[in-house]
Amino acid sequence: MSDTQKTASVRIQRFNPEKDHKPHFQEFTVSYTRDMTLLDALHEIKSHQDGTLTYRRSCRHAICGSCAMNVNGINMLVCNTPIKEHINRKGMVTIKPLPYLPIIKDLVVDRTKFWEQYMRVKPWLIPSPEVPEKEYRISTEEVEALNKAETCIMCGACYSACTVVGTSENYIGPHALLKSFLRVLDPRDAGAAERLEEVGTHEGAYRCHTIFNCIDACPKKLDPTKAIETLRNLAQKRLAFEDAKKKRLTTITKAVE
Amino acid sequence: MYKTTGFVSFVLRRFTGVVLVLYLLLHIWVIGSAVSGPEVFDQRLNAVQTPLFKIAEIALLAAVVYHAFDGVRLLLVNWFKVTDKRKNLFWAVFIVSALMVIAGGVPILLFMLESK
Repeated sequence: MSDTQKTASVRIQRFNPEKDHKPHFQEFTVSYTRDMTLLDALHEIKSHQDGTLTYRRSCRHAICGSCAMNVNGINMLVCNTPIKEHINRKGMVTIKPLPYLPIIKDLVVDRTKFWEQYMRVKPWLIPSPEVPEKEYRISTEEVEALNKAETCIMCGACYSACTVVGTSENYIGPHALLKSFLRVLDPRDAGAAERLEEVGTHEGAYRCHTIFNCIDACPKKLDPTKAIETLRNLAQKRLAFEDAKKKRLTTITKAVE
Repeated sequence: MYKTTGFVSFVLRRFTGVVLVLYLLLHIWVIGSAVSGPEVFDQRLNAVQTPLFKIAEIALLAAVVYHAFDGVRLLLVNWFKVTDKRKNLFWAVFIVSALMVIAGGVPILLFMLESK
């Protein structure tokens, strides 16, 4: 494949709260090769065309979750997305900040609410009083039931794609509900009852309208909707589930022979 | 705005829901007049026998059918956790609804044309 340079128009939503009343678009022309990512294009613009362009990025390896943005209407990580995949017929790619979140400047959004909702579900592991001598014993089936939820990088792509987040101020959000699902189904966790009490409300799992935007937006191909559906079902049989988990915790502390 | 098949179904579900509520109000307006005597009832019933209302009846059929099947789709997702089939289910609801609206709408149209 040839590595010849082509040019693309990168249309970026700009907003400077000190000067602008509302966001506006600015177009930049960028030369790109087949390996260039959208983040590379933003670097190119910031380094050589307009140093005031503001965006978040950190690891550049799709693991820190800093660079989630809205590209041509779809949320994604710009650090691992080749620009050529999103250039339309007019040779243009449009980059906007994550929807439904307050804009601080240009492509940087305020994630305060995102983290507040996250803390509501107590995202940490609540251990049982019994500490294992060596290690916890968890079966392959129990790990598979977590549906890779532990690989969430908290980028906010699902949260800001959720229509309910945009219309309902106190909705916990798919990111936090996915984390709650992870902890509820984690055999080591002893706080399932209080977790289900928190998420089994009109601000939690029952607020979800099953729109699936969270699945479509997730750069890690996770399934928050399925997690929310599972939480709904478990919240309905909270006490029975808690009893089953207590029984399971009595066997989990035995060391592997 | 985040435009996906899920968002389209969300908007249509709400829109058809509002349509059904408006129909219910109209329905009560007609049926409720029965307590005021046969003259008033006949008068209101005749008011909704115009060709415009026959066309609106087909739209109502579309709203009822789509809303019902979309509800079934959500139940399937809830019961069987088939989130990976979300786009297939969306199009299935659309196609089944369209077929049922054609099956029910054509007789309404034919009846309307015959009674002219």
